[in-house]
Amino acid sequence: MQNFIQQSLNGITYAGLLFLLGSGFTLIFGLMRIVNLTHGATYLLGGYFGYITMQATHNFALALIAGMASMAVFGVLLERGLLRSLRGRPIPELLLTMGVAFIMGDLALAAFGGNPVSVHMPGILDQSSQLGRITYPNSRFLILGVAVLVALMLYLLLGRTRAGAMIRAGVDNREMVSALGIDINRLFTAVFILGTVLAGLAGVLGASLLTLYPGADSEILTFALVVVIVGGLGSLKGAVVGSLVVGLLDNYGKAYFPDLAYFSLFAPMVLILLWRPQGLFGKAGN
Amino acid sequence: MGSLVRLVSRHGRAAQIGGLVVVVLICLAIPQLGSSFYVSLGLSVLIYGLLAMSLDLLAGYTGLVSLGHASFLGVGAYGVAFGLSHGLDVYPAIGLALGAVAVTAAVFGLVAVRVKEITFVILTLALGQLVWGLAFRWVAVSGGDNGLPVAGRPSLGPIDLTDNGAFYYFVLAIVMACAAILWAIVHSPFGLSLQGIKDNEARMRTLGYNVVLHKYLAFTISAVFGGVAGILFAFFNLYVSPTMIDFNHNGTVVQMAVVGGLGTLWGPVLGAIVIVLMQQFVSIYIGRWVTLLGIIFVVTVLFARTGLWGGLRSAVRRLAVHYGAEPPVGPASVATLETLATEGGQ
Repeated sequence: MQNFIQQSLNGITYAGLLFLLGSGFTLIFGLMRIVNLTHGATYLLGGYFGYITMQATHNFALALIAGMASMAVFGVLLERGLLRSLRGRPIPELLLTMGVAFIMGDLALAAFGGNPVSVHMPGILDQSSQLGRITYPNSRFLILGVAVLVALMLYLLLGRTRAGAMIRAGVDNREMVSALGIDINRLFTAVFILGTVLAGLAGVLGASLLTLYPGADSEILTFALVVVIVGGLGSLKGAVVGSLVVGLLDNYGKAYFPDLAYFSLFAPMVLILLWRPQGLFGKAGN
Repeated sequence: MGSLVRLVSRHGRAAQIGGLVVVVLICLAIPQLGSSFYVSLGLSVLIYGLLAMSLDLLAGYTGLVSLGHASFLGVGAYGVAFGLSHGLDVYPAIGLALGAVAVTAAVFGLVAVRVKEITFVILTLALGQLVWGLAFRWVAVSGGDNGLPVAGRPSLGPIDLTDNGAFYYFVLAIVMACAAILWAIVHSPFGLSLQGIKDNEARMRTLGYNVVLHKYLAFTISAVFGGVAGILFAFFNLYVSPTMIDFNHNGTVVQMAVVGGLGTLWGPVLGAIVIVLMQQFVSIYIGRWVTLLGIIFVVTVLFARTGLWGGLRSAVRRLAVHYGAEPPVGPASVATLETLATEGGQ
């Protein structure tokens, strides 16, 4: 029983990390219809930037900022520099991001080598708390807390602000939004950056939870994809539920059927898709 | 030069057949060069060419770009390796591998054809990662990270295929047969309806076509040919490991098809030739081969949208126009859907 609670906690905190990735992915897709396959590589590079900042300054807050800021710059470059010329052609956009993901993964390998690296959180975050009979690391609680905070902020941003109203309108009808005089290109860039910043944040947090290594990009990308497929492409609520489903299933799978860990994750995905091809909260037609 | 272009242009069909004969002759000649390096290079090209061609049926003709196509190469190859290491003979092991590919394709296809184009891409990527994950983690069956050895090659009566030269002709014959079948499929009424689905799915549905069934069949056929490539790969490489079906390799197959030219069947073979050759020769000089691969891909997507094959075709056409062999504007291309609208729907 204690083991089960432990695994459930692991699953929920891992879900927090997955939400940070999945929400950015799903926001970008929801508004721009771009499947951004660099999302895993963005996570990895953001994490590496956080890692070198941590090495240099021993300041975790700076590491988080470095991970997010570097990926914001990357987001602008990718969206304005490469993706803009392919706007509205989903398959070429997707293939382009795949090519860029190859380059990023390979350059990360060149720059940081093949050995796993990790970021140690400072002070009290590096210790554990006692919850009844269970000892649990604080760093995992931090990740969960950040994820909940981000979820709330995204909820407020989309539901309660002018920018959020523009984004929601853009999701429903791009042409109408630009006809109303809203600069849709700026909106696109802003949302794209929001997505890459969230991935960079997840990277630095992931560097302490999972370590960073070559190949971590495509692994985490797969999880993010399953999150949004299960939850429904373009839906924030779907990203919340999807990351919980994936996070928990993955941890139970790893704990109880280690050989078939991936299978225990994918079999439910297949079942959900057979029942609802658009995912749990997706709109039909995606 | 001018007269040659005019000659070729006037006898289009004959020129095509002539080109095919030349290609076949080159293929036949490779083992005679006396270098085992060229033979194994040729084998790589043939096997990846078949894999890229089989993807083209799905991606280029049906409009369903699969980012998990290398999985079928993997299932085929692992099927052979698993069968052989569990005491099966070569041909039963091949049967096991084909069966495994067919079952995997039938199950994956069931889910994959229910989703739209973009979700299809993501879903196939995820399914591809599932196969990779099983190969990596399910040590009892797949040998995990260490992979599995492939003990032995098939023999054809008295002909021994352990020698790479003889094995090359065996692979060449199978790949050519598969290419002929794929060619026949894309030019059949079934193939034309696949193109119709790619161009306008709603319209095909209205015309009374069972779109889901067409997609499902295209997915399964494409996967089975991918599986054949995998079986050949296992006997060629004599070793299978999870690396050959990881994210990068799944991407590379798509890249071969896209760089060569989607929806042309021969284009993907050309793409396979270019990428296999570059991998062999350029990676000697450039350490960051994957980066180069990514750059080529990005450039192709941005600037060469019809791929190498499309580029070649329009270059030939421009030459023909230049030398006055063809009018500057060709006859209107036959609209497949218009043709279908009158012929089909019965």
